Amino acid sequence: MDEMTVNVRTAAVRADGLSRRYGATRALDEVDLTLQRGITGLLGPNGAGKTTLLSILATVGEPDAGRVSVFGLDPRDTAERVEIRRRLGYLPQELGYHRHFTVARFLDYVAILKEITDRRARAQEVARVLAAIGLEDRARTRIRSLSGGMRQRLGIAQALLGHPDLLILDEPTAGLDPEQRLRFRELLSGLPGDPVIVLSTHQADDIAAICPQVVVLLQGRVHFAGTPSELAATAAGRVWAADQRDTRAHLSWRGGDGRWRHIGDQPPAGAEPVTPTVEDGYLMLSHAAGAR
Amino acid sequence: MTSPYPDAAGPVAGAGRHAGEDLLASYAAGMVGPAAAWSVEAHLTGCASCRSALSAQVDADRLARNRSALLVRAAIGDGGRVRRLLCRCGVPDHLLRLLAATPSLRRSWLLSIVGVLAAVAGEAAAVRHGWIPGGRHVGPAGYQDAAAVAPFLLVAPLLVLAGVAAAFLPRFDPAYQLAAAAPFSGFTLLLVRAVCALAGALVPVAGAAFALPGPGWLPVALLLPSLALCGFALAAATVMDPRAAAVTAGVLWALPAMLLAVDHVPLAIVQRNAQSACAAVIIASAVVLLVRRDRFELGWMR
Repeated sequence: MDEMTVNVRTAAVRADGLSRRYGATRALDEVDLTLQRGITGLLGPNGAGKTTLLSILATVGEPDAGRVSVFGLDPRDTAERVEIRRRLGYLPQELGYHRHFTVARFLDYVAILKEITDRRARAQEVARVLAAIGLEDRARTRIRSLSGGMRQRLGIAQALLGHPDLLILDEPTAGLDPEQRLRFRELLSGLPGDPVIVLSTHQADDIAAICPQVVVLLQGRVHFAGTPSELAATAAGRVWAADQRDTRAHLSWRGGDGRWRHIGDQPPAGAEPVTPTVEDGYLMLSHAAGAR
Repeated sequence: MTSPYPDAAGPVAGAGRHAGEDLLASYAAGMVGPAAAWSVEAHLTGCASCRSALSAQVDADRLARNRSALLVRAAIGDGGRVRRLLCRCGVPDHLLRLLAATPSLRRSWLLSIVGVLAAVAGEAAAVRHGWIPGGRHVGPAGYQDAAAVAPFLLVAPLLVLAGVAAAFLPRFDPAYQLAAAAPFSGFTLLLVRAVCALAGALVPVAGAAFALPGPGWLPVALLLPSLALCGFALAAATVMDPRAAAVTAGVLWALPAMLLAVDHVPLAIVQRNAQSACAAVIIASAVVLLVRRDRFELGWMR
């Protein structure tokens, strides 16, 4: 398989031939990937292997086969794995927390796990990330009484502790309302130090808005790696708008303007071509992968 | 740049005194040592005059950050009396805070252990006094009512094992993925939690053993088997699924304990030969844990 390369300018994170099985299910199938500094969006449906890939990059999971290199460090070596973790911020898909913890105590706990052992430094760091995600006034609130969106923001806050150089976020925008998503995009775009950020999402508009690089993972394999505009371009000449539904189209749905949007090889009668979006490109790839 | 107040015993220690301008300037610039900073902050909380003087020394952003950090410290709290006592005894504060997230140190868990022990010990006492039917028996070791302690001998080390298992099994730690991805040593975290869970569970076990009709040495005799079970489970978790390791350890204790009870010699499970075997298991487990400790540094969730 040809290596799918986002950009070889600076290979901060590299995966070669990653495979992982869960029983009879193949979660990852010889994934090759090279990521540079900046934000990379990982797009794929449920069960595509996104969470497995991210957990391996975060040194939490182990591949059955293949290798990972993070900043030139090999996670199979104990000392190098610890060094990777010192530079890592990780938001798992499901943020686990102890029921009795308040927001401040939870962040304090994670800060200790990140080796910030000095009390004063920890308090300053916790205050910093709380301000960054707008939860300063919730420091004493028990986590279990936070809304879903606030818990997600808390998850993002814990990942930001210690100024990580590699930020791995598994569906960080799930549960965020539109305004919070905008704040999240602003927050990621403004992080100092040009860290490597990998985020998985179902939201194609998140990818289009903040990710200079995008990787599409389908059925455990990398089907696309490039820029959002290149992803959109994969559907060029195959996206149409029409007043009627066309049953010959691969995919059809009714837009907010009441018109039907079609993705297919042939234009429906009376249809006009439209400029494809990132979502169109993703749906096109997803359909092609499913048709195989 | 060195601090002019690297470790002040208390530059504003005296009651009624105010912090000097140079000290406030150093504090504002973040150039004072931890002890001096604590002293200044303690003074500032009760001195409006010095707070006002400090505000002239710092920019608004720095002041806001320091205020936020103080609020966070207040929100985190300094823990209860036990934590403060342990801190004074030299236990690092950050280790005590990690222990706050150990499930088997929670009150509900410890209460359930005490509850089960009380039930078993109560049953043994009832059998001894003839309140409920039971085998009144003089064992080969010469201890009357040995049969009455059989349920306790079976259950007590298993309760200790359960406490330690809850300290290291991922399913009991909702934040285990965060711990697995963090640089803090997973092995250290495991040991600290296991030792505390062990101590927490051994106290009620030993207490209940004193109340039982068995021999006076019973509370002490339960220590090695309990340690051996926990050590074996931890060592086995480096080569097999952690849940399977805990269950295997439990079965390896329960089977001989039940067989000896059926043979009317339940105390044999904590007597000389068994103690020697437990000591050997502890030593072997310690060696395996040291050699294979790296296993706990991986995610070890597979």
